[in-house]
Amino acid sequence: MNVIEIKSLTKIYNGGEVKVKAVNGIDINFKQGEFTAVVGPSGSGKTTFLNMLGGLDRPTSGEVIIGGVNVWGLSSRQLIDFRMNNIGFVFQSYNLIPVLTAGENVEFIMQLQGKPKKERDLRTKELLEAVGIGDRIKSRPSKLSGGQQQRVAVARALASKPEFILADEPTANLDSSSTTSLLELMSQMNKKFNTTFIFATHDQRVMDKARRIVTIEDGKILSDEYFDRE
Amino acid sequence: MSKFISIAWRNLWRNKRRTLITAASVFFGVFFSVMMTSMQKGSFENMISNMAKFYSGYIQIQESNFKETPSVNNSFVLSKKLTKAINSNEDITSSTKRIETFALASNEEKSYPSFLLGIEPDKENLKSGLSKYIDEGSFIENGSNDILVGSILAKNLNVGVGDSLILLGQGYHGVSAVGIYKINGLLDFPLPDLSKQVIYMDLANCQEFSSLPSSITSNVIMVNNTGKITEVMSYLQTYIGDKEVIYSWQDLMPEILNLVEGKESSGAMVKFLLFMIIGFGVWSTIMMMMNERQRELGVMIAIGFQKGKLLFMMLVESAFIGIIGVISGIIVSYPIFYYLFKNPIVLTGEMAETYESMGFEAKLAFSVSPEIFYNPAITIMIIFMIVSLYQIYYVARLNVVKSLKS
Repeated sequence: MNVIEIKSLTKIYNGGEVKVKAVNGIDINFKQGEFTAVVGPSGSGKTTFLNMLGGLDRPTSGEVIIGGVNVWGLSSRQLIDFRMNNIGFVFQSYNLIPVLTAGENVEFIMQLQGKPKKERDLRTKELLEAVGIGDRIKSRPSKLSGGQQQRVAVARALASKPEFILADEPTANLDSSSTTSLLELMSQMNKKFNTTFIFATHDQRVMDKARRIVTIEDGKILSDEYFDRE
Repeated sequence: MSKFISIAWRNLWRNKRRTLITAASVFFGVFFSVMMTSMQKGSFENMISNMAKFYSGYIQIQESNFKETPSVNNSFVLSKKLTKAINSNEDITSSTKRIETFALASNEEKSYPSFLLGIEPDKENLKSGLSKYIDEGSFIENGSNDILVGSILAKNLNVGVGDSLILLGQGYHGVSAVGIYKINGLLDFPLPDLSKQVIYMDLANCQEFSSLPSSITSNVIMVNNTGKITEVMSYLQTYIGDKEVIYSWQDLMPEILNLVEGKESSGAMVKFLLFMIIGFGVWSTIMMMMNERQRELGVMIAIGFQKGKLLFMMLVESAFIGIIGVISGIIVSYPIFYYLFKNPIVLTGEMAETYESMGFEAKLAFSVSPEIFYNPAITIMIIFMIVSLYQIYYVARLNVVKSLKS
């Protein structure tokens, strides 16, 4: 079953007199539970593609349909609510809210969703334990290592029970062992919750874990390959 | 909602020093504004109160031509109906009849022009505490034939208690008014202009001197609250006769009113500049706060934070800074200026002489009227509302993708 359907997605940047096609008419679908790496050289358009897919950057033309909803047909307010309920984000620089503890960072999105306190507390605990930092629930981000912060970011992304998670270079700021354990964690979450993961990455270790690799160059899909990984 | 407020509060202390410096600028703005206004208003209130007590009262009833032509010819008889109305009004604390005229005061050697006031000694004393200002000698009783003389006038005339003065003036319809009166006491007023020229005499005695049996030139009224002046004037309006007019102190002393308004305008200008400086300081802090958190704001919107909620949180955050500054400013300033209100600073030396030469009492009086404290608070609120326009603009045009890249 397709979670995401992308039709003729195009993004053109007006750089003065020169128009740059960052994404050039991409058509692609993503199925429930996929673990996909979108790869390509710098400037190939993968981050722009992910931003349009995540409802952050408006395409010049084309459609992004998630769960039957044409994302770019929504109003700004609806789009923000849609993102909250359907898309999880993991960023390169973790981007946790610094004044909230690890637990509060995870809980906060559920609070925005209006979930009751008891459910929030339970799920926060469950998620932080699942990502292996249940004992740091009351720690502020500044007291956590990069790897731990990224684990909190993954837990936060999962908290709203999204259709899929977009991770833009999630391992770029991590050391080797943190990268390995984070990828292992995300792979587990993918299997455990059947959540779709889509990565934009340069990192070979991420590619080695991905069961689907989409290669983009000059804003176009160069290849789309599936791998059988255990 | 409480979570947003909690985040706003925590954000405030991410950079403690900056928050404290900004709150301190608000604090000093409130403090200096309160200080300026308290001192200015206190001085004016003191001056007006003195003038009202010793001279005009807060309200006066006069014969309709007296203000234009202050002559005993423009006198009137206070009707029983009006007297009853005055006595039955609870806001009126005292009412006293007067004759105000001019006389040349002479002794064997010198003559000086004087401002002669025929008063009801007991009521006048109740109104202004006149007897407290006796510098030498004693106060006069009702029906006394003696007079009280301003200390500077007495000094100029080289007379003292027990000496006699000849008063020469013009009585009703041009009748010559002459009399010789013994000085019973010398009055030293906080207003030097009064001490220079005033002579007090019992009303009946003055009526005889001016050939004005039972008539007066003015009836002076004091009220328990200056805010009631207009109300009392309206009340009295229904009881006065055709030839009588009611005036407020502002009508009778327009020069004082002009002085107050002029000084208030210049004070307002200084306060405006003060608050402008604070406003720009606050604005720069808010700008820094928002710019350095651009990515964080972008992330919040990306994960599902509506811009309206984000803006609310930012506004609460900046409001906290204002509230901390305003409340601490009021908490610190109120006891200080309340103490100074109760214990005005008495000036001495050259400063005192300067004040007295300008006709002011030589003391720094302070006021603790509520508006002195809530006006700066309102001004700060307005400043924060203006600055919040920038926050609204900033959040409205916040581009999530650009913010995430910042």
